[in-house]
Amino acid sequence: MHRVTPARDGIAGLAAGPPAADAVPVLRLDGISRAYGATLANQDLSFAVSPGEVIGLIGANGAGKSTLMRILAGITLPDAGTLELDGRRIDLARFSPLEARACGIRFVHQELSLCDSLTVAENFYIERPQHARHPLWRRPYARLAEAGIAGIFPASGIDVRRPVADLPIAQRQMVEIARAASDPQLRLLILDEPTSSLDARRSAELQRFIAARAASGAAVIFISHKLTEVAAVAGRILVLRNGRLALDAQAGQVGIEQMIAAMAGEAARDLAASRPAGARGAAPRGPVLVEVATPLAAVPVALHGGEIVGLAGLEGSGQRPFLHALHAAARRRRVAGAACRAAAAFVSGDRVREGVFPLWTVIANATLARLAAGSALTWIRAAAERAMAVPVLDAMQLPPSRRAAGILELSGGNQQKVLMARALIRDAAVILLDDPTRGVDVAVKREFYRLIRDAAGSGKLVVWHSSETIEFLECDRVLLFDDGAVRRVLDSTALSEDAIVSAAFTERLAARAAGAAGARPRGATQAALFRALPFLTAVLMFAVIVALNRNAATLFGIDLLMGAAVPLVLVAIGQMFVVGGSEIDLGIGAFAGLANVLSATFLADAPPLGVATLAAALSAYAALGLLIEARAIPAIVVTLGASFIWTGIGYALQPTPGGSAPAWLAAASGLHPFGLPASLLLVIVAAGLAALLNAARIGVVLRGFGANPRALAQSGWSARTAALQRYAIAGGFAMLAGFAMTAINTASDINAGGSYTLLGIAAVVVGGSSLAGGRIAPVGVVCGAITLSLIGSLLGFLGVSTDYNAAVQGGLLIAILILRGALRQ
Amino acid sequence: MTALSWLRRRRWAFAGIGVLLLWGALSATTARFSLASLSGVATSASFLAVVATGQMFAVTTGGGNVDLSIPGVITLAAFATMILSGGTDAGLLAALPAVAAIGLLTGAVNALLILRLRIPAIIATLAVGYVLETATLLANRRFTAFAISPLLRTLATARPAGVPAILLLALALAAAASTLIGRTAYGRWLMAAGQNATAADLAGVPVGRVTTVAFLLSSVLAALDGALLSAHAGGAFLEMGRPYLLQSVGAVVVGGTLIFGGSATPLGTLLGALLLVLIVTTMQIAGLPGGVQDMIQGAVIIAVLAAAGNGPTRRTA
Repeated sequence: MHRVTPARDGIAGLAAGPPAADAVPVLRLDGISRAYGATLANQDLSFAVSPGEVIGLIGANGAGKSTLMRILAGITLPDAGTLELDGRRIDLARFSPLEARACGIRFVHQELSLCDSLTVAENFYIERPQHARHPLWRRPYARLAEAGIAGIFPASGIDVRRPVADLPIAQRQMVEIARAASDPQLRLLILDEPTSSLDARRSAELQRFIAARAASGAAVIFISHKLTEVAAVAGRILVLRNGRLALDAQAGQVGIEQMIAAMAGEAARDLAASRPAGARGAAPRGPVLVEVATPLAAVPVALHGGEIVGLAGLEGSGQRPFLHALHAAARRRRVAGAACRAAAAFVSGDRVREGVFPLWTVIANATLARLAAGSALTWIRAAAERAMAVPVLDAMQLPPSRRAAGILELSGGNQQKVLMARALIRDAAVILLDDPTRGVDVAVKREFYRLIRDAAGSGKLVVWHSSETIEFLECDRVLLFDDGAVRRVLDSTALSEDAIVSAAFTERLAARAAGAAGARPRGATQAALFRALPFLTAVLMFAVIVALNRNAATLFGIDLLMGAAVPLVLVAIGQMFVVGGSEIDLGIGAFAGLANVLSATFLADAPPLGVATLAAALSAYAALGLLIEARAIPAIVVTLGASFIWTGIGYALQPTPGGSAPAWLAAASGLHPFGLPASLLLVIVAAGLAALLNAARIGVVLRGFGANPRALAQSGWSARTAALQRYAIAGGFAMLAGFAMTAINTASDINAGGSYTLLGIAAVVVGGSSLAGGRIAPVGVVCGAITLSLIGSLLGFLGVSTDYNAAVQGGLLIAILILRGALRQ
Repeated sequence: MTALSWLRRRRWAFAGIGVLLLWGALSATTARFSLASLSGVATSASFLAVVATGQMFAVTTGGGNVDLSIPGVITLAAFATMILSGGTDAGLLAALPAVAAIGLLTGAVNALLILRLRIPAIIATLAVGYVLETATLLANRRFTAFAISPLLRTLATARPAGVPAILLLALALAAAASTLIGRTAYGRWLMAAGQNATAADLAGVPVGRVTTVAFLLSSVLAALDGALLSAHAGGAFLEMGRPYLLQSVGAVVVGGTLIFGGSATPLGTLLGALLLVLIVTTMQIAGLPGGVQDMIQGAVIIAVLAAAGNGPTRRTA
């Protein structure tokens, strides 16, 4: 219901064809072409995939795999060509991600498309919402998720009720795979590098599942850089080169060598490891540059200049933290177990997150590390900067015309070269490599190996973490990691791919991976304490107030204390939903003030006009959310600007405080249903409503968008609809806050709401919501709002001037954040 | 190179064009917009530009950082100046270190909360703003005299050769900030940290120090502005810093600095401040009621953001 409605006749618009028989291909492409500017990403691609067929699709970076995938996913529209699914021709103009899904096409993305803050089961809902037919949808989805995962990866140990963020990377990848692959409607499964984080056992399970699924009639396209794996799983190999089909052959008929030759053309004569075995470990060792001991290494190790040292082990066994520890040690930070006697330069293969500066040119990207090594007031001259960068960039064979280009205009491989250039220009004695050849093509890889050998040849120490075992054959020594530390050192004579693999994948390790789940309870206790913190704070605050003044515990006392808290509680709940979208609304208090004015003027005097103006205001508020989303602009500034609009309108309508509460509103505030004060009841109802909204399907989608908007869009959800809903909900709660102000004060003042904005944000943070979005805590936020609003009363009973109110609120905010930070560690 | 791509590289030019258009329209349509009122506009814009330049540094550290403690710093610095100077130049000697201390201390606490305790900048500066609010309330209770030190009054209101001294200060500040950002390693570090803090750290940039300096600059400039503002406005009063929150962020954004961080233009911030003040002046000349003036100010900032949206930091897949 909250999803993009598919173009109505999208599927119906497919020319009706005969029912799919075994002979009819699941997928048939004919003449698919797509150009980006002068680059032809796909040229005249034609092939068909039959039911039960497993295709291995390979190609170097930039060969056109991603474009082809985006076309099949309905994200990119081809310039020419036709697409048939199960023998029916697809209307490409109407083909969308949702359509692709409806046709039974499922993707397992390389960049995992899960929402970290949602539970595993909620992630299944995002991907496959059609099974949720009633409000009690959570339990069925938990079962669905459990069955889906167990069907592929038995005894995975994954708790589907836990947020994905709590799972190790391998389990996340398993969830990603299971979510797409377990769909009973599956016709075509497309897996993009699905095993990058899986160990051998899980990879084998996936291969078995793929075979079984193919046997039951589905088609599979398996994309990977791990050619041995492709050869093992696929029945037929397709190789893309420069957007064209370079090879289409049965898997049995082509070897790895032929695949590489087809991918890279004539340039690929040899495989990744081109270093003669005799050269390894033969170079003279320089001085000791790095020393590691416990807790980073079980055995003390000294690393010398002129060495290439590989970091091997199962993915996530501590290689990456080891690199970061060395980097920190080189920057004279105190690191347990690591000493680095020289400057270090870092090259990450995660270009987007850890590498490039998107606004800069190639030159500025390349010189940064060198500039960072000097003093802050170093004068920068353009000519000197060029002279620094050009020789190194030339040595990497980067075309001179690209030097002044923006870094993002370069291909991934060339971006990676610039990052390597950055480290070489830095001229540090130690070079730390974090899987630098990830996702770059064979030709660039080979150039990298040459650069690395040259660096070591000039006396530098290269420490190299790789996810491709074969790359360790380039190393002089290999440190073998397990459970966060170096366990063994393999020297040059012991180095072979088999030796490294067998050392890394022992049964002992697999057994430990299964046992790791036992560490859970401590995390769970902490999480519970986390959630309880705001509640405990509120209770403590109330207890102190009661201790100071017995009357606070009476019905009247509670009504008085809660009454003052109601507007803040409501504003904070509204703000919470905005924060859930990883935004902050600086206009929400002003909007509550406007609702206060409208309800005490128009609504009191002319109810129809009042309802109309309030509805118009709420629409405008929701439209603001739409604007923020549609133009990709920062909410915090937009809403700060909007706060002036809301205040301006209110001020124009009612320059001085006044008006009166509508009779029904005034009467409602005096009610004592169930013997409870109306204010307390209102707070409880508001908290319950917010919690329900958050747990409902709409809440899951909103949180999903807060955490991972791209993933939600890939699953066919509309970001604009979500933004509209988010701000409509926030505005609705703010409006209720305005009504509450009218009821309490029986009058209106446009400035009355302003102070609730910042207090509301404080309440959201105190309540335990994550400002990064995707994680909100309705009950916690309500408790936080109550706590902050009780501070005034507490100070009053203590005989402290209310001048200190703000300082205590600010101090409490900081104290809670410090406490939470301490709990997290 | 087309005119449009020239403009894209120099985002401050949009604010400049806006200033010229509005100025031209005002001069053509109303006789009341004289050279004297121009000098008034320049003075108000300069006060705003000083604060906005500080805000620009905070915003440029990236990650949606905004310094929300600026209004509190301005107000407290104004009170400190009034109370400690007691209207004499000798007293001003005692007041100025206090003003500097307010700026440095606030900036240092902000940076401490952001870096050491890993509290998001918005929340950290919000919390610090609360503490400053209490401080101003307490100062307000001790505040009796409205006398202004003659020296400070001269600094804030002098017009050597008809040019307001504060305008010269704002121009000098813009030039200094441009040099720092465009010509020194610190500028590169700041832009790098603002675009991608993780990558900057791995490249060896001292991201913590960069952020600390940015928030120190923000607070110190706000404190300095508050001291001068007390002389210009003839005293200190509660909430006197309040309008500067929206307007400082507005001047930064209207001037072409990226709100997502990583790219800043001090000249644009100066022009942005001038444009915002011109808009307010226009509305005052047109005799619009206060409420409508607020609405239009808010709408202009939203419109500028909407027009400049989809900034280059948004990468397409």
